Amino acid sequence: MEQSRPIKVLIAKPGLDGHDRGAKVVAMGLRDEGMEVIYSGLRQSPEKIVKAAIQEDVDVVGLSCLSGAHRYLFSEVVRMLKEEGMGDTMVIAGGIIPDGDIPMLKETGVSEIFGPGASIKNIAEYIRENNARLKSGR
Amino acid sequence: MKILSTEKIKEKKAAWEEKTLKPALEKFKMKESATKFYTPLDAEGFDFMENVGFPGQYPFTAGIYAVYPYAAGTRGGGSIQSAPGLRRAGRYSGYGTPEDTRDYYKHMAEMGAKMGPNLAMDLPTQCGYDSDNPLIRGEVGKVGVSIDTLRDFEVIYEAFQGDRNLDRIASNFTINGPANIIMSMYIALAEKRGIPIEKLKGTPQNDILKEFIARGTYIYPPKASLRMFRDSLAFFTKHLPGMNVTSIGGYHIREAGATREQDLAFSMAIGMVYLQCGVDAGLDIDDFAPKFTFNAFGGSMELFKEVAFQRAARRMWAKIVRDKFGSKKSRSQLLRQPGGAHIGRISTTKQRPLNNLTRSIVGAVASALSGASPNASPPFDEPLGLGWSLEAIQLSEDAGRILQYEAMLTEVMDPLAGSYYVEHLTDEIEEAVWKELEKINSMGGVVAAIENGYMEREIARSAYERQRRVEKCEDLVVGLNCFTGESEIDVAINGVVPHPYDPLKREEAEETQIANIKEVKRVRDSRTVSRLLQELKEAAGKEDVNLFPFFIECARAYTTEQEMCDVLREVFGEYEPPVNL
Repeated sequence: MEQSRPIKVLIAKPGLDGHDRGAKVVAMGLRDEGMEVIYSGLRQSPEKIVKAAIQEDVDVVGLSCLSGAHRYLFSEVVRMLKEEGMGDTMVIAGGIIPDGDIPMLKETGVSEIFGPGASIKNIAEYIRENNARLKSGR
Repeated sequence: MKILSTEKIKEKKAAWEEKTLKPALEKFKMKESATKFYTPLDAEGFDFMENVGFPGQYPFTAGIYAVYPYAAGTRGGGSIQSAPGLRRAGRYSGYGTPEDTRDYYKHMAEMGAKMGPNLAMDLPTQCGYDSDNPLIRGEVGKVGVSIDTLRDFEVIYEAFQGDRNLDRIASNFTINGPANIIMSMYIALAEKRGIPIEKLKGTPQNDILKEFIARGTYIYPPKASLRMFRDSLAFFTKHLPGMNVTSIGGYHIREAGATREQDLAFSMAIGMVYLQCGVDAGLDIDDFAPKFTFNAFGGSMELFKEVAFQRAARRMWAKIVRDKFGSKKSRSQLLRQPGGAHIGRISTTKQRPLNNLTRSIVGAVASALSGASPNASPPFDEPLGLGWSLEAIQLSEDAGRILQYEAMLTEVMDPLAGSYYVEHLTDEIEEAVWKELEKINSMGGVVAAIENGYMEREIARSAYERQRRVEKCEDLVVGLNCFTGESEIDVAINGVVPHPYDPLKREEAEETQIANIKEVKRVRDSRTVSRLLQELKEAAGKEDVNLFPFFIECARAYTTEQEMCDVLREVFGEYEPPVNL
């Protein structure tokens, strides 16, 4: 598929969790993969994240949380994106996410979870191959 | 011992390279040797008294104490009962509501726990928000227990009475931004119980500067935060002689991505800022420096380098406190940590996670070889989710016991002292760290290096470099980027022992705690609270006023944590991190 512009990604830290190593590494990595990446910084509410996603018109939202609040926070982001008519925005996530929570998150609308050990290469490939928004030519 | 001259060794080395090494390299078609060898040439200028010295004596390279009582029992030197202490701090614990945490501690006491709590607090508490704040939904009681008011401490500490009353136990609090407020609640609790506050023992983390560069639970800008630090330092020094002031740096900076050298440099730089706070407050260095502790340094699988890191850290802190700050008492110069070297959470993998036990044992060996107990940390299931299984904890503790009682690893202090390699590494780390310290100094010190984003940026860059090395297989991680073929099998873990935290209670914690704080607000004297908050605000506006007495007054009246934090937010403002990626 022809790309007229780089894929735009918002990497965001929802909630109060301050463990941002993974989020920053993924942000830097996707940038080196040729994507346009915005990093939210810490302590973003789901509202703020969705607002930034709309404002920047991103193709992908990447969420990272290591505090155990992912069930609530990730679901809220997905729900609000849908509410705002951004339902085709790909939401991917990472952090310390127990395997048992993954089905629930996917059902909510999180496309994929990339936990500890995930490679940037795989994340980038996944984004390129599965992004509905890019495929629909928006 | 026969000592050859440097010239003679150089000569012999050249001959060895030509006659022995070179043919071997040719045989294996290697350009350079895969295995290095260190000689006295690599530790030139080594002076035993200056570089190492005796355990418990300056510069404390060999160890901060002359003897380590926990090492007893290894060779008939004592019974295990008298020296059970592989663990020097209670297990990091706490979840849900104060009631849930109280019940957990009661349960642990029934199982024989004797130590005070090492309290994990949830993120709203750590960031200065109350449970009923709609902005922090989903986080109450998650990574620790929720504390809103004195009431919550009253409930938790119902589990600590009688021979485990507040004057008998030491409490650890992982709290930074609002440390003074939380400590004031603890002090108010002691007062209510009629316990003289000078009998209180424990350690608040109270290391706010590292929060700006790793971990992220800051509230106020660095300068206001340092005023809060000064207040705790001055107040504890005067009124709470048994309370440590801070637990500095250590592994958090490393976990965030820092290299060994960055971690040590940033931690030492931050430690120096805190020491200066005490000096600026007009206190004698030897009155407060003994109340400084460090969080366990560690964070890689490279055993010898972690040993060298520990030795260099001890030596540097001693030099800083004695030579830069003029300390005269050796007690002030000790780099005290609750644990020693370890591999860090970042070395663990989610893939084939039982391998993390093997990994943590490498860290435990490094710990034993560098003057601490052989704690195998973290438990192997660390990357699988929050909260370790009891099985994983059992295996970790057993691993340490095996290293101590079967492998006899704690029999000798600093057994690698004098090794050309380890002395070389120790010097190398120290030299790099002094250089980095100079760099920080030249840009205006720690606060400047935080505000201009330098430290955060450098740490992120190091984290990214590590990731790239792993992806390019320059750094190998078993089961992650190598040995992942078809012939490898996964080893299943079946956790069958129920965890003492009740998952259902954890889920319900937020609603329950919101009801708790509402009830406190309903029954307390709100007019008193308003008046005290106004007084706090006025005092906060005067830089030289110590706010501790005001916080204690507020705590007694069941003022909430956020009410106090908000008043300070108005006066101090909130920290806005520099955006830099």
